[in-house]
Amino acid sequence: MPVLPFVNTRQRQFEALVRAHSGELYRYAYWLCGQAALAEDLVQETLLRAWKGLEALREAEAARGWLYTILRREHARLYERVRPGMDELDDEQHAAEMAWADPERQGSDAELREAMLALPPKYREPLLMQVLGGYSCEEIAAELGVKANAVMVQLFRARQKLKEALSERSETTHGLP
Amino acid sequence: MDCLEFRRRLGADPAHRDADFIAHRDACPACAAAWARAQQFERRLADALAVPPPPRLAERMLLAQATEERLARRKYLQRGLALAASAGGAFVLGRFLGTRDDTESLRALAVAHLPGEAFALGLKQPIPVSAIEQGFINRGVRLAASPPPDVTYVHDCPVGPYRTVHLVMQRGGLPVTVIYVVGHRNRAHDRFERAGWHGTVVPLRAGTLVAMAANPELLSGAVRDWRLSLDGPAASGHLA
Repeated sequence: MPVLPFVNTRQRQFEALVRAHSGELYRYAYWLCGQAALAEDLVQETLLRAWKGLEALREAEAARGWLYTILRREHARLYERVRPGMDELDDEQHAAEMAWADPERQGSDAELREAMLALPPKYREPLLMQVLGGYSCEEIAAELGVKANAVMVQLFRARQKLKEALSERSETTHGLP
Repeated sequence: MDCLEFRRRLGADPAHRDADFIAHRDACPACAAAWARAQQFERRLADALAVPPPPRLAERMLLAQATEERLARRKYLQRGLALAASAGGAFVLGRFLGTRDDTESLRALAVAHLPGEAFALGLKQPIPVSAIEQGFINRGVRLAASPPPDVTYVHDCPVGPYRTVHLVMQRGGLPVTVIYVVGHRNRAHDRFERAGWHGTVVPLRAGTLVAMAANPELLSGAVRDWRLSLDGPAASGHLA
Protein backbone atom coordinates (compact mmCIF):
# COMPACT_ATOMS: atom_id res chain seq x y z
CA MET A 1 0.00 0.00 0.00
CA PRO A 2 1.67 3.25 -1.09
CA VAL A 3 0.16 5.41 1.65
CA LEU A 4 1.66 5.45 5.10
CA PRO A 5 -0.88 4.85 7.88
CA PHE A 6 0.04 8.01 9.84
CA VAL A 7 -0.95 10.16 6.89
CA ASN A 8 -4.46 8.71 6.99
CA THR A 9 -4.79 9.06 10.74
CA ARG A 10 -3.66 12.66 10.71
CA GLN A 11 -5.94 13.55 7.83
CA ARG A 12 -8.87 11.77 9.43
CA GLN A 13 -8.29 13.66 12.66
CA PHE A 14 -8.21 16.94 10.80
CA GLU A 15 -11.32 16.14 8.79
CA ALA A 16 -13.20 15.31 11.99
CA LEU A 17 -11.97 18.56 13.53
CA VAL A 18 -13.19 20.60 10.57
CA ARG A 19 -16.58 18.93 10.45
CA ALA A 20 -17.10 19.27 14.20
CA HIS A 21 -15.95 22.86 14.68
CA SER A 22 -15.97 24.89 11.46
CA GLY A 23 -19.55 26.14 11.93
CA GLU A 24 -18.93 27.22 15.49
CA LEU A 25 -15.62 28.85 14.56
CA TYR A 26 -17.36 30.73 11.79
CA ARG A 27 -19.92 32.13 14.22
CA TYR A 28 -17.18 33.22 16.61
CA ALA A 29 -15.16 34.78 13.78
CA TYR A 30 -18.22 36.54 12.42
CA TRP A 31 -18.94 38.25 15.73
CA LEU A 32 -15.29 39.12 16.25
CA CYS A 33 -14.90 40.89 12.91
CA GLY A 34 -18.50 41.63 11.87
CA GLN A 35 -18.08 40.58 8.23
CA ALA A 36 -19.11 37.31 6.62
CA ALA A 37 -16.33 37.08 4.00
CA LEU A 38 -13.66 38.07 6.49
CA ALA A 39 -15.02 35.54 8.98
CA GLU A 40 -14.68 32.78 6.42
CA ASP A 41 -11.09 33.84 5.68
CA LEU A 42 -10.34 33.78 9.40
CA VAL A 43 -11.76 30.28 9.77
CA GLN A 44 -9.71 29.10 6.81
CA GLU A 45 -6.50 30.59 8.20
CA THR A 46 -7.28 29.09 11.59
CA LEU A 47 -7.83 25.62 10.20
CA LEU A 48 -4.74 25.76 8.00
CA ARG A 49 -2.68 26.66 11.05
CA ALA A 50 -4.37 23.89 12.98
CA TRP A 51 -3.44 21.43 10.23
CA LYS A 52 0.20 22.48 10.38
CA GLY A 53 0.28 22.21 14.15
CA LEU A 54 -1.98 19.21 14.61
CA GLU A 55 0.68 17.34 16.56
CA ALA A 56 0.27 19.91 19.35
CA LEU A 57 -3.28 18.70 19.97
CA ARG A 58 -2.97 15.90 22.51
CA GLU A 59 -6.55 15.48 23.72
CA ALA A 60 -9.79 15.60 21.76
CA GLU A 61 -11.47 17.56 24.58
CA ALA A 62 -8.94 20.36 24.16
CA ALA A 63 -9.67 20.80 20.45
CA ARG A 64 -12.30 23.49 20.79
CA GLY A 65 -10.26 25.73 23.09
CA TRP A 66 -7.19 25.20 20.95
CA LEU A 67 -9.04 26.28 17.80
CA TYR A 68 -10.55 29.31 19.56
CA THR A 69 -7.08 30.35 20.65
CA ILE A 70 -5.72 30.06 17.12
CA LEU A 71 -8.66 32.01 15.75
CA ARG A 72 -8.23 34.80 18.26
CA ARG A 73 -4.56 35.08 17.34
CA GLU A 74 -5.39 35.12 13.64
CA HIS A 75 -7.90 37.86 14.29
CA ALA A 76 -5.35 39.87 16.26
CA ARG A 77 -2.83 39.35 13.46
CA LEU A 78 -5.36 40.61 10.98
CA TYR A 79 -5.82 43.75 13.04
CA GLU A 80 -2.08 44.31 13.04
CA ARG A 81 -2.20 44.52 9.25
CA VAL A 82 -5.51 46.29 8.65
CA ARG A 83 -8.33 47.54 10.77
CA PRO A 84 -11.48 46.30 9.17
CA GLY A 85 -14.64 47.41 10.90
CA MET A 86 -18.29 48.01 10.43
CA ASP A 87 -17.56 51.64 9.66
CA GLU A 88 -15.90 50.50 6.45
CA LEU A 89 -19.09 48.87 5.24
CA ASP A 90 -21.56 50.92 3.29
CA ASP A 91 -25.29 50.46 3.85
CA GLU A 92 -25.71 48.06 0.93
CA GLN A 93 -22.87 45.86 2.14
CA HIS A 94 -24.22 45.95 5.65
CA ALA A 95 -27.66 44.87 4.43
CA ALA A 96 -26.06 41.97 2.57
CA GLU A 97 -24.14 40.96 5.67
CA MET A 98 -27.35 40.83 7.66
CA ALA A 99 -29.36 39.12 4.91
CA TRP A 100 -29.00 35.71 6.56
CA ALA A 101 -31.49 36.64 9.24
CA ASP A 102 -35.00 35.26 9.05
CA PRO A 103 -37.30 38.19 8.18
CA GLU A 104 -39.51 37.30 11.13
CA ARG A 105 -36.51 37.64 13.41
CA GLN A 106 -35.31 40.89 11.86
CA GLY A 107 -36.95 43.08 14.51
CA SER A 108 -35.58 42.59 17.98
CA ASP A 109 -32.81 40.15 16.97
CA ALA A 110 -31.50 42.63 14.41
CA GLU A 111 -31.33 45.30 17.09
CA LEU A 112 -29.51 42.96 19.41
CA ARG A 113 -27.07 41.97 16.66
CA GLU A 114 -26.32 45.61 15.89
CA ALA A 115 -25.84 46.34 19.57
CA MET A 116 -23.48 43.35 19.77
CA LEU A 117 -21.38 44.59 16.87
CA ALA A 118 -21.24 48.04 18.45
CA LEU A 119 -19.83 46.68 21.72
CA PRO A 120 -16.16 47.55 22.28
CA PRO A 121 -13.96 44.46 21.73
CA LYS A 122 -12.98 44.28 25.41
CA TYR A 123 -16.64 43.57 26.25
CA ARG A 124 -17.64 41.68 23.13
CA GLU A 125 -14.81 39.15 23.16
CA PRO A 126 -15.37 37.64 26.62
CA LEU A 127 -19.12 37.63 26.03
CA LEU A 128 -18.67 35.69 22.79
CA MET A 129 -16.39 33.22 24.52
CA GLN A 130 -19.01 32.69 27.20
CA VAL A 131 -22.15 32.57 25.05
CA LEU A 132 -20.81 30.86 21.92
CA GLY A 133 -17.91 28.89 23.36
CA GLY A 134 -19.39 27.99 26.73
CA TYR A 135 -16.25 29.16 28.54
CA SER A 136 -16.38 29.79 32.30
CA CYS A 137 -15.15 33.10 33.75
CA GLU A 138 -11.96 31.40 34.90
CA GLU A 139 -11.31 29.91 31.46
CA ILE A 140 -11.88 33.26 29.78
CA ALA A 141 -9.53 34.87 32.27
CA ALA A 142 -6.83 32.32 31.52
CA GLU A 143 -7.31 32.74 27.78
CA LEU A 144 -7.25 36.54 27.85
CA GLY A 145 -4.49 36.76 30.44
CA VAL A 146 -6.52 38.80 32.93
CA LYS A 147 -7.96 38.11 36.39
CA ALA A 148 -11.28 36.30 36.77
CA ASN A 149 -12.76 39.28 38.63
CA ALA A 150 -11.93 41.56 35.72
CA VAL A 151 -13.64 39.14 33.34
CA MET A 152 -16.75 39.14 35.53
CA VAL A 153 -16.87 42.92 35.42
CA GLN A 154 -16.46 42.91 31.63
CA LEU A 155 -19.22 40.36 31.21
CA PHE A 156 -21.53 42.27 33.54
CA ARG A 157 -20.92 45.53 31.69
CA ALA A 158 -21.26 43.85 28.29
CA ARG A 159 -24.78 42.70 29.15
CA GLN A 160 -25.64 46.04 30.69
CA LYS A 161 -24.54 47.85 27.53
CA LEU A 162 -26.58 45.52 25.33
CA LYS A 163 -29.67 46.04 27.46
CA GLU A 164 -29.12 49.81 27.49
CA ALA A 165 -28.78 49.87 23.70
CA LEU A 166 -31.98 47.87 23.30
CA SER A 167 -33.78 50.08 25.74
CA GLU A 168 -32.67 53.23 23.92
CA ARG A 169 -33.81 51.83 20.60
CA SER A 170 -37.14 50.86 22.05
CA GLU A 171 -37.65 54.35 23.43
CA THR A 172 -36.71 55.91 20.08
CA THR A 173 -39.10 53.58 18.27
CA HIS A 174 -41.92 54.63 20.53
CA GLY A 175 -41.21 58.32 20.06
CA LEU A 176 -39.86 58.84 23.54
CA PRO A 177 -36.82 61.04 24.16
CA MET B 1 -24.93 34.87 49.36
CA ASP B 2 -26.84 38.19 49.55
CA CYS B 3 -28.91 39.91 46.88
CA LEU B 4 -26.04 42.18 45.77
CA GLU B 5 -23.65 39.31 45.25
CA PHE B 6 -26.39 37.29 43.52
CA ARG B 7 -27.15 40.12 41.05
CA ARG B 8 -23.47 40.70 40.41
CA ARG B 9 -22.97 37.02 39.61
CA LEU B 10 -26.19 36.85 37.59
CA GLY B 11 -25.14 39.79 35.41
CA ALA B 12 -21.75 38.24 34.67
CA ASP B 13 -22.71 34.58 34.40
CA PRO B 14 -26.43 33.86 34.13
CA ALA B 15 -25.73 30.14 33.65
CA HIS B 16 -23.99 29.96 37.05
CA ARG B 17 -25.03 26.86 38.99
CA ASP B 18 -23.20 26.96 42.32
CA ALA B 19 -25.25 25.68 45.25
CA ASP B 20 -25.28 28.99 47.19
CA PHE B 21 -26.32 30.86 44.04
CA ILE B 22 -29.23 28.48 43.41
CA ALA B 23 -30.18 28.50 47.10
CA HIS B 24 -30.45 32.30 47.14
CA ARG B 25 -32.52 32.31 43.95
CA ASP B 26 -34.95 29.81 45.47
CA ALA B 27 -35.21 31.78 48.70
CA CYS B 28 -35.60 35.33 47.30
CA PRO B 29 -38.62 36.09 45.05
CA ALA B 30 -37.14 39.33 43.69
CA CYS B 31 -33.88 37.63 42.70
CA ALA B 32 -35.83 34.69 41.26
CA ALA B 33 -37.69 37.13 39.01
CA ALA B 34 -34.39 38.75 37.99
CA TRP B 35 -33.00 35.30 37.24
CA ALA B 36 -35.98 34.47 35.00
CA ARG B 37 -35.54 37.75 33.09
CA ALA B 38 -31.82 37.02 32.71
CA GLN B 39 -32.51 33.56 31.29
CA GLN B 40 -34.95 35.05 28.80
CA PHE B 41 -32.34 37.60 27.72
CA GLU B 42 -29.71 34.85 27.35
CA ARG B 43 -32.00 32.84 25.07
CA ARG B 44 -32.60 35.90 22.99
CA LEU B 45 -28.88 36.65 22.87
CA ALA B 46 -28.04 33.07 21.86
CA ASP B 47 -30.67 33.22 19.08
CA ALA B 48 -29.34 36.53 17.81
CA LEU B 49 -25.75 35.21 17.69
CA ALA B 50 -26.69 31.99 15.87
CA VAL B 51 -25.34 33.05 12.48
CA PRO B 52 -25.75 30.19 10.00
CA PRO B 53 -22.39 29.21 8.49
CA PRO B 54 -22.09 29.46 4.69
CA PRO B 55 -23.22 26.35 2.78
CA ARG B 56 -20.64 23.55 2.54
CA LEU B 57 -18.22 25.46 4.77
CA ALA B 58 -16.50 22.29 6.02
CA GLU B 59 -16.01 20.96 2.48
CA ARG B 60 -14.53 24.26 1.35
CA MET B 61 -12.18 24.33 4.33
CA LEU B 62 -11.04 20.78 3.56
CA LEU B 63 -10.50 21.71 -0.07
CA ALA B 64 -8.36 24.70 0.94
CA GLN B 65 -6.29 22.47 3.19
CA ALA B 66 -6.00 19.81 0.47
CA THR B 67 -4.78 22.38 -2.04
CA GLU B 68 -2.22 23.82 0.36
CA GLU B 69 -1.04 20.36 1.30
CA ARG B 70 -0.68 19.35 -2.33
CA LEU B 71 1.42 22.43 -3.09
CA ALA B 72 3.56 21.80 -0.03
CA ARG B 73 4.12 18.19 -1.04
CA ARG B 74 4.95 19.19 -4.57
CA LYS B 75 7.59 21.62 -3.29
CA TYR B 76 8.95 18.92 -1.02
CA LEU B 77 9.10 16.46 -3.91
CA GLN B 78 10.78 19.01 -6.16
CA ARG B 79 13.40 19.70 -3.52
CA GLY B 80 13.96 15.98 -3.10
CA LEU B 81 14.33 15.44 -6.81
CA ALA B 82 16.70 18.38 -7.12
CA LEU B 83 18.81 16.89 -4.37
CA ALA B 84 18.76 13.49 -6.02
CA ALA B 85 19.73 15.02 -9.34
CA SER B 86 22.58 17.00 -7.85
CA ALA B 87 23.89 13.84 -6.25
CA GLY B 88 23.67 11.99 -9.53
CA GLY B 89 20.91 9.89 -8.09
CA ALA B 90 18.06 10.69 -10.48
CA PHE B 91 19.07 7.98 -12.91
CA VAL B 92 19.29 5.38 -10.13
CA LEU B 93 15.94 6.48 -8.72
CA GLY B 94 14.32 6.19 -12.15
CA ARG B 95 15.67 2.68 -12.64
CA PHE B 96 14.54 1.73 -9.15
CA LEU B 97 11.00 2.80 -9.85
CA GLY B 98 11.07 1.12 -13.24
CA THR B 99 9.62 4.15 -14.89
CA ARG B 100 12.56 5.65 -16.75
CA ASP B 101 11.23 4.85 -20.21
CA ASP B 102 7.57 5.63 -19.47
CA THR B 103 7.34 8.84 -17.52
CA GLU B 104 5.07 10.77 -19.87
CA SER B 105 2.29 8.22 -20.46
CA LEU B 106 -1.13 8.90 -18.99
CA ARG B 107 -0.88 5.96 -16.61
CA ALA B 108 2.56 7.07 -15.41
CA LEU B 109 1.36 10.61 -14.84
CA ALA B 110 -1.74 9.35 -13.03
CA VAL B 111 0.31 7.19 -10.64
CA ALA B 112 2.82 10.00 -10.12
CA HIS B 113 -0.05 12.30 -9.16
CA LEU B 114 -1.12 10.12 -6.22
CA PRO B 115 1.61 10.92 -3.65
CA GLY B 116 0.87 14.64 -3.95
CA GLU B 117 -2.66 14.03 -2.68
CA ALA B 118 -2.02 10.98 -0.55
CA PHE B 119 -4.17 12.36 2.26
CA ALA B 120 -7.22 12.04 -0.01
CA LEU B 121 -6.92 8.26 0.17
CA GLY B 122 -7.69 8.37 3.89
CA LEU B 123 -10.88 10.45 3.66
CA LYS B 124 -13.87 8.38 4.76
CA GLN B 125 -16.76 10.83 4.82
CA PRO B 126 -18.87 10.76 1.62
CA ILE B 127 -19.14 14.19 0.06
CA PRO B 128 -22.39 15.68 -1.29
CA VAL B 129 -23.47 14.85 -4.84
CA SER B 130 -23.55 18.58 -5.60
CA ALA B 131 -19.83 18.87 -4.80
CA ILE B 132 -19.01 15.98 -7.15
CA GLU B 133 -21.16 17.44 -9.91
CA GLN B 134 -19.49 20.80 -9.38
CA GLY B 135 -16.06 19.16 -9.72
CA PHE B 136 -17.05 17.95 -13.18
CA ILE B 137 -18.80 21.20 -14.12
CA ASN B 138 -15.55 23.03 -13.31
CA ARG B 139 -14.05 20.96 -16.13
CA GLY B 140 -17.01 21.56 -18.46
CA VAL B 141 -18.47 18.07 -18.01
CA ARG B 142 -22.05 17.41 -16.95
CA LEU B 143 -22.78 14.00 -15.43
CA ALA B 144 -25.59 12.07 -17.14
CA ALA B 145 -26.62 10.25 -13.95
CA SER B 146 -25.90 10.36 -10.22
CA PRO B 147 -22.30 9.68 -9.19
CA PRO B 148 -21.47 6.68 -6.97
CA PRO B 149 -22.49 7.31 -3.35
CA ASP B 150 -19.11 6.48 -1.82
CA VAL B 151 -17.05 9.34 -3.23
CA THR B 152 -15.02 10.96 -0.44
CA TYR B 153 -12.86 13.40 -2.42
CA VAL B 154 -13.11 15.47 -5.59
CA HIS B 155 -10.71 18.01 -7.01
CA ASP B 156 -10.12 19.42 -10.48
CA CYS B 157 -6.43 18.59 -10.77
CA PRO B 158 -3.96 19.13 -13.60
CA VAL B 159 -2.16 15.85 -14.29
CA GLY B 160 0.80 16.53 -16.56
CA PRO B 161 -0.65 18.35 -19.57
CA TYR B 162 -4.14 16.95 -18.92
CA ARG B 163 -7.16 18.62 -17.33
CA THR B 164 -8.70 16.08 -14.99
CA VAL B 165 -11.20 15.47 -12.23
CA HIS B 166 -9.54 13.56 -9.40
CA LEU B 167 -11.88 11.45 -7.25
CA VAL B 168 -11.47 8.95 -4.44
CA MET B 169 -14.06 6.34 -3.45
CA GLN B 170 -14.02 3.99 -0.48
CA ARG B 171 -14.80 0.38 -1.36
CA GLY B 172 -14.71 -2.26 1.33
CA GLY B 173 -12.45 -0.08 3.45
CA LEU B 174 -9.97 0.51 0.63
CA PRO B 175 -9.57 3.62 -1.49
CA VAL B 176 -10.12 3.55 -5.23
CA THR B 177 -8.75 6.55 -7.08
CA VAL B 178 -10.41 7.66 -10.27
CA ILE B 179 -8.92 10.27 -12.54
CA TYR B 180 -11.18 11.39 -15.37
CA VAL B 181 -9.19 13.09 -18.13
CA VAL B 182 -11.27 15.66 -19.98
CA GLY B 183 -10.85 16.10 -23.73
CA HIS B 184 -8.30 13.33 -24.24
CA ARG B 185 -9.69 9.97 -25.33
CA ASN B 186 -7.31 7.03 -25.13
CA ARG B 187 -7.44 4.84 -28.19
CA ALA B 188 -7.86 1.55 -26.33
CA HIS B 189 -8.46 -0.07 -22.94
CA ASP B 190 -5.30 -0.67 -20.99
CA ARG B 191 -4.40 -2.32 -17.69
CA PHE B 192 -1.22 -1.72 -15.71
CA GLU B 193 0.60 -2.33 -12.47
CA ARG B 194 2.93 0.37 -11.31
CA ALA B 195 4.52 1.46 -8.01
CA GLY B 196 2.23 -0.84 -6.03
CA TRP B 197 -0.95 0.27 -7.81
CA HIS B 198 -3.15 -1.75 -10.11
CA GLY B 199 -4.84 0.37 -12.73
CA THR B 200 -7.06 0.42 -15.74
CA VAL B 201 -7.37 3.03 -18.47
CA VAL B 202 -10.76 3.22 -20.19
CA PRO B 203 -11.91 5.56 -22.99
CA LEU B 204 -15.17 7.05 -21.76
CA ARG B 205 -17.34 9.66 -23.43
CA ALA B 206 -15.04 12.34 -24.84
CA GLY B 207 -12.34 11.58 -22.28
CA THR B 208 -10.46 8.82 -20.52
CA LEU B 209 -11.02 7.30 -17.13
CA VAL B 210 -8.06 5.99 -15.13
CA ALA B 211 -8.99 3.89 -12.08
CA MET B 212 -6.33 2.79 -9.57
CA ALA B 213 -6.45 0.64 -6.43
CA ALA B 214 -4.19 -1.58 -4.37
CA ASN B 215 -6.65 -4.42 -4.97
CA PRO B 216 -7.30 -5.01 -8.71
CA GLU B 217 -10.67 -6.60 -7.99
CA LEU B 218 -12.07 -3.19 -7.07
CA LEU B 219 -11.42 -1.67 -10.49
CA SER B 220 -14.17 -3.15 -12.65
CA GLY B 221 -16.95 -2.04 -10.26
CA ALA B 222 -15.55 1.48 -10.12
CA VAL B 223 -15.34 1.71 -13.91
CA ARG B 224 -18.90 0.34 -14.25
CA ASP B 225 -20.24 2.95 -11.81
CA TRP B 226 -18.52 5.85 -13.51
CA ARG B 227 -19.54 4.66 -16.95
CA LEU B 228 -23.14 4.74 -15.70
CA SER B 229 -22.69 8.18 -14.21
CA LEU B 230 -20.93 9.72 -17.22
CA ASP B 231 -22.85 8.00 -20.03
CA GLY B 232 -26.24 7.59 -18.34
CA PRO B 233 -28.19 4.34 -17.92
CA ALA B 234 -29.25 3.96 -21.55
CA ALA B 235 -25.84 4.53 -23.09
CA SER B 236 -23.97 2.48 -20.50
CA GLY B 237 -26.45 -0.39 -20.99
CA HIS B 238 -25.85 -0.20 -24.71
CA LEU B 239 -22.10 -0.27 -24.24
CA ALA B 240 -22.31 -3.19 -21.83
